[in-house]
Amino acid sequence: MSTSADKLVEDYLDRLERELTDFPSARRRELVQEISEHIAEARARLESENEAEIRNLLDRMGDPADIAAEARGPAPETTPAVAPVERRSGALDVVALILLLIGGVVIPVIGWLIGVVLLWISNSWTTNEKLFGTLVVPGGLALPVYLSLVAGYTESCGGPVGGPVTCTGGPSPGMRAAGIVVVVALFVLPFVTTAFLARRRSRSLALA
Amino acid sequence: MVATQDALLAQMRRGTLQYCVLSLLADEERYGFDLVRGLAEMDGMVTSEGTIYPLLSRLRRDGLVESNWQESPSGPPRRYYRLTERGRSALDGFRLEWRRFRDAVDYFVERMESK
Repeated sequence: MSTSADKLVEDYLDRLERELTDFPSARRRELVQEISEHIAEARARLESENEAEIRNLLDRMGDPADIAAEARGPAPETTPAVAPVERRSGALDVVALILLLIGGVVIPVIGWLIGVVLLWISNSWTTNEKLFGTLVVPGGLALPVYLSLVAGYTESCGGPVGGPVTCTGGPSPGMRAAGIVVVVALFVLPFVTTAFLARRRSRSLALA
Repeated sequence: MVATQDALLAQMRRGTLQYCVLSLLADEERYGFDLVRGLAEMDGMVTSEGTIYPLLSRLRRDGLVESNWQESPSGPPRRYYRLTERGRSALDGFRLEWRRFRDAVDYFVERMESK
């Protein structure tokens, strides 16, 4: 192996390395290694290795700048700009309504929150309608469901075996009646909201 | 804008070279050097042999080809490339479009010349 040939190849690979400085080091190493192996194999096939042959070989490899440009990817082509299409995903709207209603029951808090997010990213409703959908009732059906569960648990009943059962911590009869009214209302309101949003949605679709 | 002959060729190569690479891999796996020489044998297909390597790397990232290392009888292990299913269907799709396109261009270019 002649040293001047080695020097030429070394210079070529150095230039390539410099052209690739803005690449992640793993990719740069890989590419430089592939090119270097290609050159080594091409050299091994030369009948006689002289400076002219090596220059010719490196010419065939191409300008390091061209290789780097290729690695950077094809020049951005003038693809026709896609007009921003107004997204109206019917399926997502339906999912939003279902999650707002029962999402919180299936996956506590998170299920309902996903419903809220879907509600707000949809463009089927106005901001006021979205506010209504979020605030009436926060948590959807999960709120009354949990309230009735919690109400059941605060009441603890016990007593001696065979003796009279006494319950403590339970609300007074008046409070209990009021509680039932609130819980029933909380059960009904989310359905009202769902029906309202569903109607508003079909109206906004009709206008579109 | 008047494209020089070189720029014209470069432009035509840009969209087609990767399918020539896929075609070379359609029947057999090949390693980089072998692939590059296979392309370079055809006049006008490759001007800079080195640019094939970044192209191969992109095809690999796009899942059109896959590669594995194999021992070589001489020198360091070689990275062999082979077509993936995705690469094969991309190639089939290109073949179909290319024939239509080629016939359409031929229709105009050849007809005008023969007049």
